[in-house]
Amino acid sequence: MSPRRTDAGGRVDRLRTIRFTFDGAPYTGHAGDTLASALLANGVTLFGRSFKYHRPRGVLTAGVEEPNALVTVLRGEVREPNIAATMVEIYDGLTAVSQNRFPSLAWDINAANQLGGKLLSAGFYYKTFMGPAIGPLKSTRFWMFCEHFIRRAAGLGRAGTAADTARYERMNAFCDVLVVGSGPAGLMAARAAADQGARVILSELEPHFGGSANWSGETIDGMPAADWAARAAGQLEGYDNVRLLPRTTVWGYYDGNTLAALERVTDHKERPGKGEPRHRYWIIRAKSVVLATGSFERPLVFPGNDRPGVMLAHAAERYANEYGVLAGNRIALFTNNDSAYRSALALKKAGAAIVAIVDVRTELSSEMRELADEAEAKSLSGHAVVATEGGKALSGIKVQRFDMTNGALAGEARSIQADCLLMSGGWSPTIHLASQAGAKAEWNAARQAFLPPKPTQQWIGAGAFTGSFSTAEAIAEGRAAGLSAAGGTGTPTALPVVEAAPGDPDPAPVFEIKADGKSFVDFQHDVTAEDVRLAHREGFISVEHLKRYTTLGMATDQGKSSNILGLAIMAEALGKPIPEVGTTRFRPPFSAVSIGSLAAERFGDLRPERLTPMHDWHVANGATMYSAGLWYRPMIYGHAGETIEQAYVREAKATRESAGIVDVSTLGKIAVQGPDAAEFLDRVYTNMFSTLAVGKARYGLMLREDGLAFDDGTTWRLGQQDFLMTTTTANAGKVMQHLEYFLDVVWPELRVHVTSVTDEWAGAAIGGPKARAILAACVTGTAVDNAALPFMGIVHGKISGVPVMICRLSFSGEMAFEVYSGAGYGTHVWEALIEAGKPFGLVTYGLEALGTMRIEKGHVTGAEIDGRTTARDLHLDWMLSKKKPFIGSAMMDREGLIAPGRLELVGLISLDNQPLNGGAHIVEDLDEANPHDSIGHITACCYSPALGKYIALALVKDGMARRGTRAHISDPLRNRFGPVEIVSNHFFDPDGSRMHG
Amino acid sequence: MLITCPYCGPRDVIEFTYQGDGNRERPQPASQNLDAWNAYVYDRLNPAGDHNEIWQHSGGCRAHLRVVRNTLTHEISSVAFARGDHKVAARHKAEGKT
Amino acid sequence: MVERQSPLEPAPLEPELRTGSHGDFEHGPDVILSETRPGSILQLAAWPGQEKNLIAGIHTVTGLALPDGAGAGSTDGVRSVFGFAPGKFTVVDEAEGLVSAFAGVVTPAIGTVTDLSHGRTAIRIAGPKAEWVLAKFFAIDFALPAFPVGAGRSTMHHDVFAQIQRTGADQFDIYVFRSFARSFWKALCHASEEVGYEVQ
Ligand SMILES: [Zn+2]
Repeated sequence: MSPRRTDAGGRVDRLRTIRFTFDGAPYTGHAGDTLASALLANGVTLFGRSFKYHRPRGVLTAGVEEPNALVTVLRGEVREPNIAATMVEIYDGLTAVSQNRFPSLAWDINAANQLGGKLLSAGFYYKTFMGPAIGPLKSTRFWMFCEHFIRRAAGLGRAGTAADTARYERMNAFCDVLVVGSGPAGLMAARAAADQGARVILSELEPHFGGSANWSGETIDGMPAADWAARAAGQLEGYDNVRLLPRTTVWGYYDGNTLAALERVTDHKERPGKGEPRHRYWIIRAKSVVLATGSFERPLVFPGNDRPGVMLAHAAERYANEYGVLAGNRIALFTNNDSAYRSALALKKAGAAIVAIVDVRTELSSEMRELADEAEAKSLSGHAVVATEGGKALSGIKVQRFDMTNGALAGEARSIQADCLLMSGGWSPTIHLASQAGAKAEWNAARQAFLPPKPTQQWIGAGAFTGSFSTAEAIAEGRAAGLSAAGGTGTPTALPVVEAAPGDPDPAPVFEIKADGKSFVDFQHDVTAEDVRLAHREGFISVEHLKRYTTLGMATDQGKSSNILGLAIMAEALGKPIPEVGTTRFRPPFSAVSIGSLAAERFGDLRPERLTPMHDWHVANGATMYSAGLWYRPMIYGHAGETIEQAYVREAKATRESAGIVDVSTLGKIAVQGPDAAEFLDRVYTNMFSTLAVGKARYGLMLREDGLAFDDGTTWRLGQQDFLMTTTTANAGKVMQHLEYFLDVVWPELRVHVTSVTDEWAGAAIGGPKARAILAACVTGTAVDNAALPFMGIVHGKISGVPVMICRLSFSGEMAFEVYSGAGYGTHVWEALIEAGKPFGLVTYGLEALGTMRIEKGHVTGAEIDGRTTARDLHLDWMLSKKKPFIGSAMMDREGLIAPGRLELVGLISLDNQPLNGGAHIVEDLDEANPHDSIGHITACCYSPALGKYIALALVKDGMARRGTRAHISDPLRNRFGPVEIVSNHFFDPDGSRMHG
Repeated sequence: MLITCPYCGPRDVIEFTYQGDGNRERPQPASQNLDAWNAYVYDRLNPAGDHNEIWQHSGGCRAHLRVVRNTLTHEISSVAFARGDHKVAARHKAEGKT
Repeated sequence: MVERQSPLEPAPLEPELRTGSHGDFEHGPDVILSETRPGSILQLAAWPGQEKNLIAGIHTVTGLALPDGAGAGSTDGVRSVFGFAPGKFTVVDEAEGLVSAFAGVVTPAIGTVTDLSHGRTAIRIAGPKAEWVLAKFFAIDFALPAFPVGAGRSTMHHDVFAQIQRTGADQFDIYVFRSFARSFWKALCHASEEVGYEVQ
């Protein structure tokens, strides 16, 4: 039997032994143990080293608020640091290691920091590492130099570098009543709401429902409270309208009664079940919430209060009653309130000797005196602990007479032998979620605690959360809250009867014993009472500044055990009452949340992607796919041994020599339908569409309201009231929203419907001198000659038995056609075109060749329509109708948009026959050492097979006027400098003779 | 933050797109009053309190909504279709609850 | 006639995306996934004030009565209809060619008809855990009282727009953009693993 394990009691399964390791040493525990309880049972007292001073630390609490016993859990290659040992359920093979120690936990080099305690006081880093005013390490550079070493010495666990292979999921839930916390209050609330027929979710951050009932040792309805809670939870399981969420921490309370929770689904398992996520991120929308989150016991501040073996009183009670583990054999207690007496008795019953109960209060109630007697404890009222003794484990304490009215110590300090000191500094309701939900907490002088604010959202508090610390109150409030949350009234029935130790819920207003030695306020960040006072002396009188300066309450535990203590010490220094010093608003998350759970399915294989109807064909035929937004498009169809440039040059060349075909299904397509469709397009586009004949297409340009260019594309008139608009791939969604906005908000009188039909149509653009012949070879039901299908004409026919719509338009500058078919026929039509094209030397081409041909033609895309350019800048002013107003028409002629000196679209030719780079700057005079005076930049570039040169499109200041002149590209990042000639953006076939045929 | 779409009911803000200040008044299309256009395109109120806003339920029914939102509390005091002529019975009203 | 190609086939899909039982199905799969491949998926939209005439037209063509109210709908197993936006409805038929049946019924004075038969993919999820799996994707309440049989909802999962109709107590038909269908199907299979799923 383990040295500290009791023979009976608790809910651990003594018949099931679990094997795990801590810092490489093998240990055993029982099913139901946490890592903390199992290590305590094995007599381990040293769990970690503190943040700044590397002081030995034990376990302080038994729950989520643990600031000391933080460990790293290893799963294969994946390491997760900074996990509270109190929250780790052990499983066979669990591997945990301690943190912030070198070379080992027991022998830590940096523990020497303790000796320099004065040096490392509040603000130490700020003061020390500011560096000299001049020189190589002036001011912050010195800090940056030192930071590396400081961060190594101070800190917590080390994050891993291996990819996290675990699965995370998100879950949306809706309920009438969410009950947070499953102590007696939460159980009663859930039951009461469920009985009203409400949809209820009951969440509990621990593995078991019941909260304090699991360790209080009280009796409810004649049975042990733990049994009562187990029965109540079991009954709730039978309700169809109740969802029970154990191991689920509600960590955020947001607008609209939306709460965020983390369910640790498989952390306690050796391996997850098939498809089981590690964590589930619940987003719960609750009509109302019952906050039954209980309270946290506070430590007391006195010298040596951080020594391993010093623990919160209820934590030891919990280890004894819930896990069958004694935190010590000779236990002393130090308290300012009655609750510690119940803890003392529980530990006595569990088999420990209670050597003393040190109470700051002089007057004790007769009930407390009786409890002390029953625990066979020496009662030292009007005393305080002024020191603790021992190294890595407690060996004894020193006590002295204490006057709580003035904090004065008197008389000789005397030693008491003890291997465990339990402290209780009163209780703070766990008001974090209520604080997140809105209002400010209110200080209650009697309870010496901040009580929950008045609800600003739909929540009701119950139990210790409200400052009602007795189980009987929790039960009554829980039921009332559950009823009220469910909107029920309910007939009054008898409440469960509680038998509990007596006790006054109000502590004495004592937070700190001032004596020599380090008295810790924030255990996790190593902030002492003296640090708080030093900060005050240095002028940090706002509690918010104090927090940031001392880092009090800013560790991963977010000051769950230290906030009130720090505030009380600050208040005393300021000579103000606590409520005037203020409180800090709690922010999400309540406790640490895995990043994986927040990212859930948004990354990796599950990221949404869009595929065109011909996607599989492209992949099967050697295409290198390129991700463009969410779409995947062929970049090149490379041959063996080809570079990307060789592939696209071959594709573009073959297209201009015979014919090429490209998948254009990704173009945005919007059906614009209705009697006012033509009028609407006239308003949306800079050019006219009402004059467009049915069966014809027209190139259109849209501006934004501010007069800058927005998007371009062709729109086809399929019927009198029926248009098919195409947009660029990237802007499809934005254009759709733009149209919807004007129809809904600005011109609701127009009878027009717009519908995204991007996915309805598969599109193939076939262009080149042989394109028409290829179509003629495979299209039936219509002629495709110049008479039937003139430039910008549309015909309907069939290819290989499938209806198609063909529009003659060109992006490549060649005689070209876009062939549209139902998406489900896309591959069929594509293959038919490929087959028909074989005798003509048809090639498939990808985005690179598409881009090359458009650069040769000087067409603009999103790289040039970049949100800063006007139609004039892009030489599209011929599209600006003067016959009608359109979106942007009033703003496009503003002074700044027509002034000289604007960046205008031009072409560039590389004069040194070397490639150009997108984003490279253009300068008049080259100065490689000190690049300056950019006159523009390259937007797109390629090797032009048509010209046999490296060319680019660029936006250049007064570019039109510079045509025919020389300049230089200046690209210091890629070390590319060289001469270029500025030319027209229409490099190839400027009069369009090829596409007009 | 939740917005109660008159058609779809309460939905998370992630389904909506902010479409600008609802106080803007667009000049007549042919207006050449640059000051008025400038005010429409650029001038924005920035109240600490109730603010008229246009939101699109872009991840739902795609209707544009006029929303009055308190910029301090996120409380939404009214939501209506931007189009006055949507006469569809709203589900959350038809069912008599949210 | 040429067979329409589904975005889910005949792609070289991973085995777990194909017909059969997958995931944790030892105790029987808790959801069944299938692609329903209707012949016709139409979007009908009324001009303001013409909603009742459009609803009457839908009844004339499909025989389906549309209950009043936003998102209301009905299905007879062959044809389905539901509202997805103010004055707008999705109408689905197993057979192809429904668009021509509306030609003389929904006149330009009433509204517009848009054929999306190729552009949307219909995925059905059925079984006792259908609500559970869908709740992983969509922030809407799938409980029967909040989402009755026949009703439709417009919502999204990241960038994937979805119209969802409840076609049974534990059966939902999800209409997604065709280009997203394979990606969404994969995600649906992935999310169904823990409850066990069968692809039909
Ligand atoms: Zn909506």
